[in-house]
Amino acid sequence: MTHVSAPSWKARQPLPRSTWVLAIILVVGWIFLPGFSSIDNATNVLRVAAILALATYGQTIVLISGGIEFSIGSSVALCSVTSVLALQYWPIGPAFLVGFVTILAVGIINGLLISYLRLSAFLVTLGMLLLVHGLAAIVVGGLPVEAPDREGIHALSGGAVLGIPVPVLLAAAGAILLHLLLERTILGRSWFLIGSSAPAAEMTGIKVGRIVFLAYFVAACFVGLAGLILTSRVAAGEPNLYPTLPFESMAACAIGGIPLSGGRGSALNAVIGVLVIAVLNNAIVLLNYPAYTQLALLGVIMIGAVMAQGFPALKSLSWSRSR
Amino acid sequence: MESARDTALPLANVDSLAAASAIVHDAVDTTPSEPVLEVRSVVKNYGSTRALQGADLVLRAGRIHALMGENGAGKSTLVKILVGATAPSAGTITLHGRTVKFAGVADAIAAGIVPIYQQSTLFSNLTVLENLFGFEIATRPGFANFNNAKRRLLAQCMLDRIGLAVELDRPVASLSLGEKQLLEIARGLGRECKVLVLDEPTAALSQADTSRLFSTLRRLAEHSVAILYISHKTDEIQKIADEITVLRDGVSVLAAAPLKSTSIQSIVNAMVGHAFNVGEKNLPAVAAPVLTLDRATRAVGDPEVSLVVRRSEILGIAGLAGSGAEDIGAILAGALPCVSGTLHIDGQPLNCLGDRAAAVSAGIGYVPPDRIANGLFPRHIALLNASASILAHLSRFGWINRRKEIARLSQVLANVRLTPNEPWRLIEEFSGGNQQKILLARNLALVGIKALVLVEPTRGVDVGARDVIHEQIMAAARNGSAIALVSTDLEELTSLSHRIVIVRGRRIATELPHLSTPSVVAKAMLGEI
Repeated sequence: MTHVSAPSWKARQPLPRSTWVLAIILVVGWIFLPGFSSIDNATNVLRVAAILALATYGQTIVLISGGIEFSIGSSVALCSVTSVLALQYWPIGPAFLVGFVTILAVGIINGLLISYLRLSAFLVTLGMLLLVHGLAAIVVGGLPVEAPDREGIHALSGGAVLGIPVPVLLAAAGAILLHLLLERTILGRSWFLIGSSAPAAEMTGIKVGRIVFLAYFVAACFVGLAGLILTSRVAAGEPNLYPTLPFESMAACAIGGIPLSGGRGSALNAVIGVLVIAVLNNAIVLLNYPAYTQLALLGVIMIGAVMAQGFPALKSLSWSRSR
Repeated sequence: MESARDTALPLANVDSLAAASAIVHDAVDTTPSEPVLEVRSVVKNYGSTRALQGADLVLRAGRIHALMGENGAGKSTLVKILVGATAPSAGTITLHGRTVKFAGVADAIAAGIVPIYQQSTLFSNLTVLENLFGFEIATRPGFANFNNAKRRLLAQCMLDRIGLAVELDRPVASLSLGEKQLLEIARGLGRECKVLVLDEPTAALSQADTSRLFSTLRRLAEHSVAILYISHKTDEIQKIADEITVLRDGVSVLAAAPLKSTSIQSIVNAMVGHAFNVGEKNLPAVAAPVLTLDRATRAVGDPEVSLVVRRSEILGIAGLAGSGAEDIGAILAGALPCVSGTLHIDGQPLNCLGDRAAAVSAGIGYVPPDRIANGLFPRHIALLNASASILAHLSRFGWINRRKEIARLSQVLANVRLTPNEPWRLIEEFSGGNQQKILLARNLALVGIKALVLVEPTRGVDVGARDVIHEQIMAAARNGSAIALVSTDLEELTSLSHRIVIVRGRRIATELPHLSTPSVVAKAMLGEI
C-alpha cells in the first residue's frame, strides 16, 4: 500500500480495461488468422496506425485540458492541398512546411477563439471543420490535385530507417514526447489542472487563457505531422482526405480510457486506444469483411469501452424524483 | 379524454380555492393558535458532527415565525428536515398533531409544507402561466393543455390571492426579482399550503419589493397560513415576525419567544452565547503595511473601499451574507476585477483588475470561500492539489522536479496535520476539514509569501480541523505574513483578529479593536452600532 517506490502525482491507475480487448484480439488473431502475426502484417498495421496515433495525441491534449477538437478532419485535407500546390513551385521541404503551417494556423485560430474569446470548443472546432473543408474544396475546385512527380515525395509515409517505417518512428517518438509533456512539465500539469477545474486553476495563479491556447497549438503540431504523412502517402491535394479523423481520434481516446470530461488521461491511454482500432481494422480486412463492417464494429467497441469505465452517473440520481 | 380531464380539474380547484378562503376567513375569527407544525428534540448527525442536537420549533397558524442563528448554528439543517430534503437522526415532527416522516421534498409539499428558496426555482424561459402549473406539469404524465380559459381563470385567482399583478403570458425572465419571489409563493400556494418556509427571501430584493413581500406575508398569515421566516436581518424580523426561535450549536436557545417582549440585545446574546474567552490567543506584534487597497470600486456606482493590512497582522473582515465582505477578500487576493482603485503589495503596485496570476507571483495566497467550485481539483490526489500554486518554483525550464515536489509538499501537508496523512489519496476521499487543510497548505507552500487572504477558512469544518487551521493562521502571521480573514464566524474573528472591519452595503462601515466581544461584532454586522 505504500507509494514510496513509484512517486507519481496521479492517482494510481490500473492499465486501461481496453488493454484486455487488445490482448484478446491479438491472441485470437494470432491463432485463427493466417498472416496476422507475420512481421509484414505487423509493420503494415503500425504504419497505418501511425497517422491516427499522431492525431490522437493532439486530441488527447485537448481533451485533458477540457476541450474537444473536430477541425482536424479537414485541416489535414487543407494541409494536403496547400503542400501540393506549393510543390509546383518549391522543393519538398519548404512545400511540406507550408502544409504544416496550414494546420498550425487552424490550431492557432481555434486556440485564440476558445481561450481568449471563451467560445465553446465544441462549436468553434465544428465550425472550423466545415469552414476549412469548404476552403480546401474551393482552392482546388472540388477535385483532387495530383502532386507533381517528385522523387522522395513518398519518403515520409513509405520510407524506413533500420527496417522501421518512418511513420512508426514518428508515432513512437510522439508518444514519448507526449508522455514527457503530460507527466513532467508545468505545461502538461496545467492542462490537467484546467481540465479538472478551470476556476480553481485560475485561483492558483495559472494563466488559463494562455495554457488553453497552447493546448490547441501543441495539438496542431502533432496533427501537422499526421497531415504531412497523409499527404506523402496520397501524393495529392485531396479536399476530402480523412473526414472521419476527429471521430476516430475521439474513439481512440474513449477506448483508451480518456474521459470527455477533461482532467484525466495519459499517452499510454492514447496508444492503447489507437492500437485497438488499428488491430481490429486489420483483422476485419484479413477476414475479407467489407469496410463498413469495420465502422459498425468500431462503434460497438467504442460504446463497450465507455461502458467498461463504469456507470458513475447511475449512482447520482438524487436530482431526479425522490422516492 | 384530455379535454375531460382539463375541464374537471380546474373547476374543482377554483371551487376549492374559493371554499378554502371562505373557511380561512371563519378560522381567523376563532384562532386559538393551534400549533400546525411541531418539531421536538430533533437531532441530525452528519458522520461524527452533530448539526442539530435537540432543536425545537413550534409554528402556529396565522403567525409569522422568525428563525435566527449564526452560520453553522443548524438553521439550514433544520429547514432541510422541515421541507423533507433530509431525514432527522432522532426526534419527531408533527403536523396537525399527526407524526409525519417525509420521504422527500415532494412528499413535504404534498403535506402542505411549501419552501421558497433564495435561488429561484422558476423556469425563466416559460411564461407566468406555465410556471404557475409547473408542479402539475412535472407530476402528471402525458400531454396537457395549460392554456385554456379555465386555467387562466384559476391562474388569475392564484395571482390575485397574493396581490401580484402581472400578465399571465409574460415570460418569467422579464419579471423583477420581487415579482419572481411573489410568483414563486403564488405557485407554492396553488396547492394546499399549511406552512410556508422562506429562506432569506429579501437577500436580493429592493426596498419596494421587500415591503410588497411583507404585505403579502401579512395577508397570508391572516388567512391562517403558518410562516417560517429565516433571516439575518433584525430590523426586518422586528417588522414582520410575531415569534422567534434562535438556534445556537444545534439547540433552540430561544424557543417561540413572542417578539413583542424580546429585545434585540437578548436575541443577539442568544445567537452568540457568552462562552468565549476573547483574547486568549497571543497575537504577534504588527509591523509595516504590506497589503494596501486604495479606493477600489467593484462596479461603477459602488462605494470605494480602502484597506491596509500590515506585516504579522490578522485583519478580520466581517459582514453578513451579501454585504460584500467576501468580495473585498477576493479583491485583496487579485481574484476579482475592479473598475478603479489600486492594490499595492510591499509598496509595489499590482493591477487591481483581478489578475490572480500576478497576485500569486507577488506572494498573495488565497483560500476562496467555495472550495468545491473554486478550490479543489476533483479526481486528483492531495499532493497535486497542494502543489498547484508553486509549480514554477519546483521546476527548471518548465520541467517539474518531482522529487522536490514530493519532498516539499509532503512536509507542508504534514504540517497542517493532514489525516490520514496520505498525499497520494484522491481529494474526494478526505473530509471537508482536511480538504480545507489542503487548500491552506497550497498557499502556505507559496515561496516568498507576503500576504494570505482567507475567506471562510473553517466553514463546514470539524472542530479538530478548525483548531489546526487557526493555529496555522497564527503561525503564518508570526512568520510575517499579512493576513486578511473574511469570516462570519464571530468566535473565529474575535479571537484571531488584531482588528475587525465591518462591511455593510459593500462599504466599510466601522472598525472594531482587538478584544471586541462577539455580540458587539454581531450588532455591528447587523447595523445596530
